[in-house]
Amino acid sequence: MDGFPSADVVWDAEDLACGVLLLKLRGRMETMRPGQVLQLVAHDAGAREDLPAWCRLTGHTLLSIEPPVYLIRRKEG
Amino acid sequence: MAGKFCVNLTHSKDNTDRATVGFVLANAALGSGKETLVFLSIEGVRLANKGFAESIHEEGFPPLRELMDNFAKGGGAIYVCSPCFKKRKLDENNLVAGATIVGGAKLVEFLSDGSPCVTF
Repeated sequence: MDGFPSADVVWDAEDLACGVLLLKLRGRMETMRPGQVLQLVAHDAGAREDLPAWCRLTGHTLLSIEPPVYLIRRKEG
Repeated sequence: MAGKFCVNLTHSKDNTDRATVGFVLANAALGSGKETLVFLSIEGVRLANKGFAESIHEEGFPPLRELMDNFAKGGGAIYVCSPCFKKRKLDENNLVAGATIVGGAKLVEFLSDGSPCVTF
């Protein structure tokens, strides 16, 4: 993932999916500071569509998608 | 992106697949930053009583009890249809976390500013 910032937090969500994944992801992001980057490992097949949608909904920035690895920057505020 | 989302859940042990997926979707809405309501109606009201969901564990999903606990801990609201609850002679003093027995006006109020609502 050249060109992308290194992760401040790494979380392997294993096979978590859909609402279970998203609710836990929200909790993870709430523990991070604005601007910090989460490296999420999510193996569920639905994650590659769900995570971009989740970022659009919540305002966090999806920096990269290389399934099963996703880099997400926490929004400001 | 703020906003609301409602899941109308009409099943419990009579259709554990629907009951489970309803709460999975509710958690997806809550996790996506929506003010989320689960409206329990018809057979779904049985889930409002503590202990009832304990034995519901659909293959491929977390136990329903865990889904409901996480929903409540995350700030989700559960409205319970009063006449549905009363008809089944359930215990209003034994409600799960986050549950409130309501009449239809509360649901109408929640939906009245254009909130989407999906039914399971």
